[in-house]
Amino acid sequence: MDIKIGIPRGLLYYYYFPLWNKFFETLGAEVVVSQPTNKKIIENGVKNTVDEACLPVKVYHGHVMDLKDRVDFLFVPKLMSIYKNEYICPKFCGLPEMVSSSVKDLPPLIDTVINFRKSRKKLFKAVYEIGSHVTKNVSEIEHAYSEGITNYHNYRALMKQGILPIDMNKDHFQKRKVISVNQQKVVLLGHPYNLYDPLLSMNIVEKLRAKDVMVITPEMMDTATINRYANQMDKKMFWSFGRKIMGTAFYAMEDPTISGMIYLSSFGCGLDSVIADIAERRVRRSSKKPFTVLTLDEHTGEAGIDTRIEAFVDMIRWREKNENNFSSHG
Amino acid sequence: MKKCYLGIDVGSVSTNIAVMDHEKNILDTLYIRTQGKPVQAIKNGLQEMKNRVGNNVEIMGVGTTGSGRQLAGIMVGADAVKNEITAHGVAALNYVPDVRTIIEIGGQDSKIILLRDGIIYDFAMNTVCAAGTGSFLDRQAERLGIPIEEFGTMALQSKAPVRIAGRCAVFAESDMIHKQQLGHNQEDIINGLCEAMARNYLNNLGKGKEITAPVIFQGGVAANIGIRKAFERLLGCEICVPQYANVMGAVGACLLAKEEVARKGKTDFLGFEIAQSEYQVKSFECEHCPNLCEVVQFHRDSSLVARWGDKCGRWNNLKDYRDEKLA
Repeated sequence: MDIKIGIPRGLLYYYYFPLWNKFFETLGAEVVVSQPTNKKIIENGVKNTVDEACLPVKVYHGHVMDLKDRVDFLFVPKLMSIYKNEYICPKFCGLPEMVSSSVKDLPPLIDTVINFRKSRKKLFKAVYEIGSHVTKNVSEIEHAYSEGITNYHNYRALMKQGILPIDMNKDHFQKRKVISVNQQKVVLLGHPYNLYDPLLSMNIVEKLRAKDVMVITPEMMDTATINRYANQMDKKMFWSFGRKIMGTAFYAMEDPTISGMIYLSSFGCGLDSVIADIAERRVRRSSKKPFTVLTLDEHTGEAGIDTRIEAFVDMIRWREKNENNFSSHG
Repeated sequence: MKKCYLGIDVGSVSTNIAVMDHEKNILDTLYIRTQGKPVQAIKNGLQEMKNRVGNNVEIMGVGTTGSGRQLAGIMVGADAVKNEITAHGVAALNYVPDVRTIIEIGGQDSKIILLRDGIIYDFAMNTVCAAGTGSFLDRQAERLGIPIEEFGTMALQSKAPVRIAGRCAVFAESDMIHKQQLGHNQEDIINGLCEAMARNYLNNLGKGKEITAPVIFQGGVAANIGIRKAFERLLGCEICVPQYANVMGAVGACLLAKEEVARKGKTDFLGFEIAQSEYQVKSFECEHCPNLCEVVQFHRDSSLVARWGDKCGRWNNLKDYRDEKLA
């Protein structure tokens, strides 16, 4: 019987799932993904996580709970750094420990350390360690990894075309729907796990699109562009996602076709408290573009978010047309 | 019969109704407490408005705003359903065309709206925290046994400053109790509270924003002269409180309705008679997926007019009453 490997649908699932899914499947394992985030998953996560954690980490715990009884292994890698001299959020560095001490009756975790802060030399060692739970055959693991990487690059290429995870077939990340051409462009900043989880983000992407707004996220940006713009900072941003967000924000300040920026932050996020503030200050200092921060928490009431989105879109329309002909509904 | 527009602002604390004629003059306004029953508040408000002006006016259009705007919109058949920020901005521009800053403090919300050249340029709303909003003042007034109407004038009688921590409503309250125990005058404490609220507002919402005159202060709390003076001291400029400050949202809704009706040429207003209709709200938990959405069914005289509350659209799309849903 195939080994069942569980991948929780949270945190960097929205980045790396296509890689590891293909990797494990090529090795002959069965990959099980938790259900899309729902009320029960959030509830379980909130109940079973340490208080100080941010909302996405709590939701991740909920996904772990959803999977734990139906898999042989849980894939909870310890992602510390994916780029040289940069870090992922500190909470990722302790994720396997946090999960294993908060959630009882867990299957064995695949909690390989991924740390490329100094160099990527140990990449294959980490890949082998992950793959060794399925097979010990080195060449098979190498092959599976190259398959996974190809799949990941395809996925990232789709995202760069503006096809977001919610536009893709849920489990396989294939392009699902065609996106209409929208009028205003708004940059949506934030961590991928906030932006792409439709329940957590209160479906902000679809809400903006329904108002005929084209949404641009950091993942849709060209890497070289992001890096060029992020280098404008006085000091290197040592968080990888922070760099991407800042690069995108700087780009949005300059691109005349972009009407405004919305920063989607989750309550309790330490990184956002710094990045959102720097972004806001820089935008206010050197551009006249509208910028707003929306904070997500465990609230189920969407009225607050809806009012802000509606007012924001009204504002950018009004600013652009400079006359009173905005729509009366929505 | 005068041709008029109706604006309804259903907020967390008050439900406001304004009637505006074609020349943008306000004929009548109404400010009633929502008391957690928006449907009843809207019905009472409409009935009262009908008694006051119903025989002399013909309603050409109706607009709704506030956190209960979708509900109110469905009830009355609104032509325009708009968020509070746009409504407040439109209303303020009507009275002070060169307004550059709007301070709006309501029951649960506080907002800052910056305008440049007659358009909304930037805005911010308070986050989940309700410190520094009307309901907090209400509670403190009640605790001190002072009618909220006298709160502001009492603050003006203060002779010595008392500093209250305004960052958090809970801490502000314990700080106030502490100052009372120390024997400070009530006027001084009330004045300290007004200053704390204004300071908290400027720190939270005004953070990083360029607040320039002319400044308009509106929303229910604008009636409080103590807070207005505190803002004037902190900002160093005069603050204008328009005549209809407490119902500006409703005035904005009138203006938006007028615009919309001019565009589409007719109104969907169901008439003041709906105040006599029976409204029923029935809710159930949808068990179709683990989200367990609480679906609300809204009935008028026992016929279903709208459903909302589901995330997937399974229920609210079933009956196409209007192509909008409530969040």
